Amino acid sequence: MSTQTQQRPPTGARPEPEPARPRSRRQRPRIGLIVLGTVIAVLFVLPLWWAAVSALRPQRETFSTLSPVSLWTLLPRGLTVGNFGRLFDAEFGRALLNSTIVTVATLVIGLAICATAAFALAVLKFPGRGVIFAVMVISFLIPFDAIAIPLMSIFRDAHLENTYLALVLPGVGNGLAVFLLRGFFLGVPIDLAEAARVEGLGWWGVFWRIYLPLSRPALIGAGLILFVFQWQAYLWPLLIAPDPEMTVAPVAIAQFAGQQGVDFGAIFAGAVLTALVPLLILLFFQRYFTQSVSSSGLK
Amino acid sequence: MTTTAPSRRRQHSRRFGDLGVALTFLLPAVLAAVLLRLWPTVRAVWDSLRSTALGVEPTHWVGFDQYSALLRDPAFLNSLKITLLFGIIVNPLQIAVALALAVLFNERIRGAGLMRTLVFLPVAIPQSVSAVIWAVAFRPDGPLNGFLTRLGIAPQGFLTSPDQALASIIVVVSWIGVGYWMMFLIAGLKEIDPTLYEAAALDGAGRWARFRGVTLPQLRRQLAFVLVADTISNLLVFAPVQILTGGGPNGRTNLIMNDVFERAYVRADAGAAAAGTVVVALIALAIVLVQFRLLSRGSD
Repeated sequence: MSTQTQQRPPTGARPEPEPARPRSRRQRPRIGLIVLGTVIAVLFVLPLWWAAVSALRPQRETFSTLSPVSLWTLLPRGLTVGNFGRLFDAEFGRALLNSTIVTVATLVIGLAICATAAFALAVLKFPGRGVIFAVMVISFLIPFDAIAIPLMSIFRDAHLENTYLALVLPGVGNGLAVFLLRGFFLGVPIDLAEAARVEGLGWWGVFWRIYLPLSRPALIGAGLILFVFQWQAYLWPLLIAPDPEMTVAPVAIAQFAGQQGVDFGAIFAGAVLTALVPLLILLFFQRYFTQSVSSSGLK
Repeated sequence: MTTTAPSRRRQHSRRFGDLGVALTFLLPAVLAAVLLRLWPTVRAVWDSLRSTALGVEPTHWVGFDQYSALLRDPAFLNSLKITLLFGIIVNPLQIAVALALAVLFNERIRGAGLMRTLVFLPVAIPQSVSAVIWAVAFRPDGPLNGFLTRLGIAPQGFLTSPDQALASIIVVVSWIGVGYWMMFLIAGLKEIDPTLYEAAALDGAGRWARFRGVTLPQLRRQLAFVLVADTISNLLVFAPVQILTGGGPNGRTNLIMNDVFERAYVRADAGAAAAGTVVVALIALAIVLVQFRLLSRGSD
């Protein structure tokens, strides 16, 4: 198309994946794309940045830095942890502890339940497998939030309000996690299991010593699905655990923000603390999360 | 469970399978599915067919009266209308933006990985926390109005304005949602065979023609999935509405989940709430059925 400035590859060499084009035509849109991408990324992260900065600045500066907006809206003039102190005076520590207890319990119990079910559905052969699989698919197609209110009546009749059990239970059976693990288990060569069976290993041993050690990425992915569901649960804890002793962090922060004479510094401090745990975990495991969610959703 | 007995035992297990073992492995998950999903669904249908007027009379069978009352209730009809309007705007908007960002961040540009992560960050944050942050941002004396003042624009009402409240909610849920759906689409883009693009480029196809001729058709399955999953999650939006507007002003943001919640817990009308729950579940099921049709057609 135009003058070739780059050295041609020796004749007979395989063509480059992208045909070499003049530099100027290729570089200019790239710079445009970088600028565009940067602007978009900054816009997305701006509210978080502002919340984090507001959590660290003295409470009286929260609004004084806003009108008109200046650089000081996004940069703290003086740093303080006073907001966090007042937050914990307001029993927010209890809410964070509750969230942690509920989420850890959900992870342990949920992984056990989902992995065993996935193993049975992927590896074991038994009459009625299709029926059980269908029941699981149909039940987990019903979005949890849609049936939270009738489930609340059931739990109230069973006197389970304001218990950790009630908070944990809805998170332990997760269809997405089961299907993700089942898909992964189906990929493990069945010969491994059969050989081990011939050697005299029971099914429990096959599950525990062969399938689980081979499935770390899928287990991490399933764990993240359970974690995200439980850590950000709002509607269910709001319904089933209204007792201040049992409030979880996402509900506590919303109630805090709804009070009269709100302490904005403390709200931002609470928001940052509640967001920090999942942020760090998802940043660290981002690859597993997106891989697992996209594959379990699609295949 | 040990299998010391050789071939007889194996033939037996081939005929009858591993039913006993399987049941032990499956029992907890099946119990969870039945007790925590199916039973409450059945319970909602049952409750919706009975009168539960408080203290007036013992509960009794009323058939479809709850539904006909609900469908004549202007407040419920309004929430259906608002939910539909919200869905018609928010779903195409989120998917279009997510697709554009997926294509952009899939380019080999410097820093694409970091940009992708920054857009993904809001996904990690609990919805109620996002709502609380935005509640301050939208305040009359908040940073958004501070910014508008700087530009010489009069302060806006945002959440308190009947014309801007729903749009404000859309901004919040999209801030959370776009990064999430973008990740699914990026996963799909990575699976596209690069030789398809080379072939199209050799045919002289430009950027846009390659997008329409290669990217869109190759991404059909992911797009179908994202469309359905996004539609369901937007049908069930609750925390941002309850925290930011409580359904107001004048019911302008009263999405269906908030309406059902208020029937159950503010007005204590259990029967109507149950009927509303059934309506929500039916809409969700209908959307899922569409997913199956779209996906099965996609795999042909």
